Parts: sequence; structure tokens; C-alpha cells
Amino acid sequence: MSTAGSRDPRPTTFRHREEVMGTIVTLDFFDDRGISSDELRPFLDNAVATLHHADKVFSTWKPDSPISRLRRGDITLGEAPVEVTEVLDRCKVAREMTRGWFDPWSLPGGVDPTGYVKGWAAQRAIDELAGSEVEGVMVNAAGDIASFGGPDSASPFRVGILNPASPKTLACALDLRGAIATSGTYERGEHLINPFTGELATKLASASVTGPDLGLSDALATALVVGGDEVLELIDELNDYEALAIGYDGTMKWTSEFPLSP
Amino acid sequence: MNYNFGVLSVSVTVGGGTITKVSIATLSDGGNFRSQSIDQMAIPQLEQQAMAAQSASIQGVSGASYTSAGFELSLQDALKTLGFK
Repeated sequence: MSTAGSRDPRPTTFRHREEVMGTIVTLDFFDDRGISSDELRPFLDNAVATLHHADKVFSTWKPDSPISRLRRGDITLGEAPVEVTEVLDRCKVAREMTRGWFDPWSLPGGVDPTGYVKGWAAQRAIDELAGSEVEGVMVNAAGDIASFGGPDSASPFRVGILNPASPKTLACALDLRGAIATSGTYERGEHLINPFTGELATKLASASVTGPDLGLSDALATALVVGGDEVLELIDELNDYEALAIGYDGTMKWTSEFPLSP
Repeated sequence: MNYNFGVLSVSVTVGGGTITKVSIATLSDGGNFRSQSIDQMAIPQLEQQAMAAQSASIQGVSGASYTSAGFELSLQDALKTLGFK
């Protein structure tokens, strides 16, 4: 994509779209002092490379990816890239935190960390961008958002959550500090299998989780949409994570400190 | 526009230099059952996402959006045809 290299004195945004991980990831930069795309370029290049690397290692659609080879038993975990061990370790933590409601080992066809990887990769991309001096960045991977800063030096990002029952509207908005992931019945079915029954069944129409890390937010949102109230109570007990659940009847429930925006 | 489970095209209505309406013009998925059930939910929400992105008070939208890649590429094509960007 092409943009002007000179600084704009007004508040500006700069958007980059990257086709990766089977979707388009949008990287939005905000700075009320103006943004120079030339200054951002090295950070952007690293962030984009991080996303493509995650796709290369973890794509279950590519038969020769390390995760596909591990699933088939062609290689052992010790022979896979070190990131595979890191991600699977984090998935185990998420499985324990959710008392089994998030469980990549329960999916058909062998371990599938796809429900964690998209958020994990976007979080790593944000970490690459944190070295730049830009005031705020959002990395939106098909509805799951990692961020730091805000639209200007004084405000947090304001983010809407889609209303699953009334598609022309947003259900609500929140002040975003860090990450938010949303899972819903309109998402890829293989993420939304009940690990205890093996059925394609969800208790909620939509589940959103916000917190410092998008990978864990994504895992918690997946657990919440499948597990319902039990998982909402588990998340309420976590220090850094908050959740909002939307039922099939449109009822909204949220944890005590969910940062709803008026 | 080909996407994972079929063909998608997007129509964009422009008034006064801004997008006033985004809608799905045609959708053909070859009768794929899973794709149909996804489309019924996801496509209206993608329309909303495109509109919400123009709102001055919201910088992003969180939601499940399986067909977002196909939608956004198609939207870009439509805007290019109209002389935007």
C-alpha cells in the first residue's frame, strides 16, 4: 500500500492491511502529532513478518506446516520449531484456567491450537510495534484486536462489539486497554466444539473477553461461548481479564469490571 | 470475488463523498450447507463492520467474522471502481 512519507500536522491515522492466516489483518496506527509511514516502516515490516511466520508454522490448512506434520505424527514436539512448544504450553495453561472448556486436544484430527494462534500472533505483532514512538496501534485479526495506547495521547480506544441478534447494530462499546477477542456461533465451527461432549454446541450467541494478552483472551472467549455461566464466573475471578456474554435471547451479562463505554 | 466458500460481490452506495450503504450484491456458494449458515449471520455483520469503521467515535469492531477477507477485498474493489483510494 502507498502513503505519503511526510508528516501531517493534524491528527492522522495510517492503515495497513495484510492478507495472512486465512483472513485480512488490519493494522491501524494513530498519532495526534501526525504519522510518518517511513518511520513506521521497519516496525510494520517486523510485525507483518511475525504474522506470516505464525501462519507458516501453525497453519492446519498447509499439509507441510510443522503443526500439520506434528498432527500426523511425522515429527515429534522436540523436532518442531520452539514456538510450537511455547504455544502448546500456553494452551495447557488456558485449559487449566478454564477447567477444560478450552481444550485444543479435544478437537478431531489431533491437537489444534488454531483458536489460540491467531490472537497469539496478533499479540506478537503488537509487541513488535511497541518499539515505535506511535501513540496508539490496533491490530485487528478478523474481529480479535490487540492494541496499545489510544487514538490520541489522552484517550483509550473505543471499540464496538457486534450484536449477534441484530446484525445492523453494535451490542455495546467498551474502552479498550490491551486486547479483546470475540467468539460467536457465526465463527468457524471447529473452534466451538464442546470438549466434554464432542458436540457442536454453544451456550451463548457471543462471548467477548478483554485483557492484556490477545492469545489468552481468545482462548477464554472460546471457552465462554461454549461453557456459558460457569466460565463467566471463572473469568470474574481472574485479576486482569473481564468478559461480556450475549445470550441467544439477547440478554447481556458481564463481569464486575468489564469496561463498558457509555 | 472468490472467497473460501463461494463467490461474493459487494455493492457500495456513495453520497457526498462518503459511503452511505454497503450491501452484498450477489452471493453464490454452490449450496454448501456450512457456508450458507455462516453467511446468514456473518454477512450482515460485515456490512455493519464496514459502516461502523466510518464512525468517528469508534476505532474498531470486535466480532466473529469468518468471511471478512472476501468481504473486505470485494469492498476495496468496489471503492477502487468508484475512484476512492
